[in-house]
Amino acid sequence: MLNIQHFTKTYGEKKAVDDLSLHIAPGEIYGFIGHNGAGKTTTLKAAVGILQFDAGEITIGGHSIQTEPLACKQLLAYIPDNPDLYDFMSGIQYLNFIADIFGIPAAERWARIEPYADAFELTGDLGQPISAYSHGMKQKLAIIAAWIHDPKLVIMDEPFVGLDPKAAHLLKGMMRELCDAGGAIFFSTHVLEVAEKLCDKVAIIKGGRLIRSGTMEEVKGDDSLEEVFLELEDASC
Amino acid sequence: MLKTLLKKQMAEIFRNYFYDPKKNKMRSKGATIAYIALYALLMVGLLGGIFALMAVGLCGPLVEAGMDWLYYLLIGLIAVFLGTFGSVFSTYSSLYLSKDNDLLLSMPIPVRCVMASRLLGVYLLGLMYAAVVIVPGVIVYWLTAPVTAGTIVGGVLMVLLVSVIVMVLSCLLGWVVARISLKLKNKSFITVILSLLFLAAYYFVYYKAQALITLLVENAAVYGMKIRGSAYLLYLFGCVGAGDWLAMLIVTVTQAALLALTMWGIARSFLKIATATGSVKKVRFEHKAVRAQSTQRALFGKELRRFTASPNYMLNCGLGILMLTAAGIALIIKGGALGQTLADVFSGNVGVVPVLMCAAVCLLASMNDMAAPSVSLEGKNLWLAQSLPVVPWQALRAKLDVQLVLTGVPVLFCALCMVITLPGSALEKVLLVVVALLYTLLSALAALALGLKMPNLTWTNETTPIKQSGCVMLSLFANWFYAIALGGLYFLCGNVLSAAAYLAIFAVVTAAGSALLLRWVKKQGARIFAAL
Repeated sequence: MLNIQHFTKTYGEKKAVDDLSLHIAPGEIYGFIGHNGAGKTTTLKAAVGILQFDAGEITIGGHSIQTEPLACKQLLAYIPDNPDLYDFMSGIQYLNFIADIFGIPAAERWARIEPYADAFELTGDLGQPISAYSHGMKQKLAIIAAWIHDPKLVIMDEPFVGLDPKAAHLLKGMMRELCDAGGAIFFSTHVLEVAEKLCDKVAIIKGGRLIRSGTMEEVKGDDSLEEVFLELEDASC
Repeated sequence: MLKTLLKKQMAEIFRNYFYDPKKNKMRSKGATIAYIALYALLMVGLLGGIFALMAVGLCGPLVEAGMDWLYYLLIGLIAVFLGTFGSVFSTYSSLYLSKDNDLLLSMPIPVRCVMASRLLGVYLLGLMYAAVVIVPGVIVYWLTAPVTAGTIVGGVLMVLLVSVIVMVLSCLLGWVVARISLKLKNKSFITVILSLLFLAAYYFVYYKAQALITLLVENAAVYGMKIRGSAYLLYLFGCVGAGDWLAMLIVTVTQAALLALTMWGIARSFLKIATATGSVKKVRFEHKAVRAQSTQRALFGKELRRFTASPNYMLNCGLGILMLTAAGIALIIKGGALGQTLADVFSGNVGVVPVLMCAAVCLLASMNDMAAPSVSLEGKNLWLAQSLPVVPWQALRAKLDVQLVLTGVPVLFCALCMVITLPGSALEKVLLVVVALLYTLLSALAALALGLKMPNLTWTNETTPIKQSGCVMLSLFANWFYAIALGGLYFLCGNVLSAAAYLAIFAVVTAAGSALLLRWVKKQGARIFAAL
């Protein structure tokens, strides 16, 4: 579903990501972990097509993000670490805007929105301006908007930050459901316990370079993910 | 503490002069100097030049009549009026609605320091507008009247006093808007309506001021005595510039007291207003059927919503809508009489009427430049436009379409009112409409191109991209230049070319310019937007 090959991105003189290769297959929840500034967000943004890069290739569903960005974006949904949404819209206006962009028929929209809005307890607030939403409410709205067009790939940057325990539990269920239906999830997180329990595969990045990747068992063996992560961090210092 | 905040405020206001957001690095010294010189040239050369000419007309007769103080009073009041008008629309948001409110108020920073740093922004904006009147006014006075130590100190003090009065008035009006705004539901539109009422009052006074100034100059001695007798403080205010030391002392002390009182009043309510959430009643959402829209229409709706949600945006970048509509209505009511007057005035060359009218429509339309800050206004929402399945040109076209629709429709209305009521041949009238509409396209494309070339996505207050950005300023001046060139050049080549031929040439040039800009925006502009 998502294929990253020899991806390299530099900011001026500094190499933010160096020769990164990853493959996320349909049905997989793929965790992406690393310290602050390791290159996680840069990789996610490049995969979504909002960051130009220097070398390598990123394809989504066989389409190149550089040469066929629209075909890729039709398949994916992205949730950034800080969901800055259009403050001048209400929640429902924003969801309808996203639905219009993805060409979802009017008759189908509410059926797609309602279950998630109800589950996140956001239905009653959909008429409020987004400027009046809390961080968590914006995060919930961004998740509903991401799921509205039934994406094949969801890319998320720290999706659990700001969510209450119930909403976080709900999101985990949504992620698993999407992957069971043949979709794929690629997300970054600092919450290693969540990654350990939720992910089928995991990649650890440090200083822009991939230091380990594979299935959860391959990466952590008999240890906890936290222990492995800290060990790898120390070892490569 | 205050120094740090002032530094931050200054860095935000003048960031674009020193920092290139596209290259993500500081500009070279040469580029910074060139930017500042260009800005100074536009402000001082163009606006300052207009007011210098006015000052020359006033200064000679009044100084000769020994009424130096009356000259300074008139120039000072005009400067106060322009300065207040220029900054009042953004004072409310500059003072109270910055996005860093939570950050600053959560830190151990005295509220008065936050307030003072914001006031610096208000002061500088007011000073900028007032200075284009008062600075040329003072220089003209120094060149006309005998220069003494008193007139030099008085002139400099006059500039400072005017800027302080402007700030006090802007703060008071901003405070009134804030108080009203907190109690209202449809804040955006009410704020716009209140501001428009202020604007109407401004134009009414401006209209009356022309006749009043003429009357004052012609009867300087009589009215001078009357002002001195009934409004002594105004007399003293004028005396400051003329070098009266006692007047300088009295007016400065009075001003300082007024400033202190205003600051005290603002400080008392600052925290309450800055942290208020308003009185919006929470209405529980109920699902209603919606109509699906095309991608382009959805993007257009989004841009239109952004425009109508911000009083600041509407007032600073959309006044042309109102002006063009008002001009059209005025033409319907008084067009016959105006047409007759113009026909009499230009009896030797009636062809000049459609050319001048076309220039007038363009000048009014130049007050619309919503496409210029539209790229910067994406701010932290840019990830949405870039991650959704739309090509950059679609996002840019939506920004362009908003200006085209909101300007094109009133331009067409106003131009058609001119066609109906004013003299000219059928061909000249058709060309008037064509040039006005082509200008609408060109100005919208130019605004968008400038917005792409000079983006600022890291603002903390929307006033920065809307009012203090180079692209907005350049767009406005470029539009004025076009309108003035359209009207002015005809007087140079009117003997050689008929009005119809002249307008046809302008139509071709404008269409060619639009085609080139459209090509640039679609290709290069789209690339810039994708890489922001």
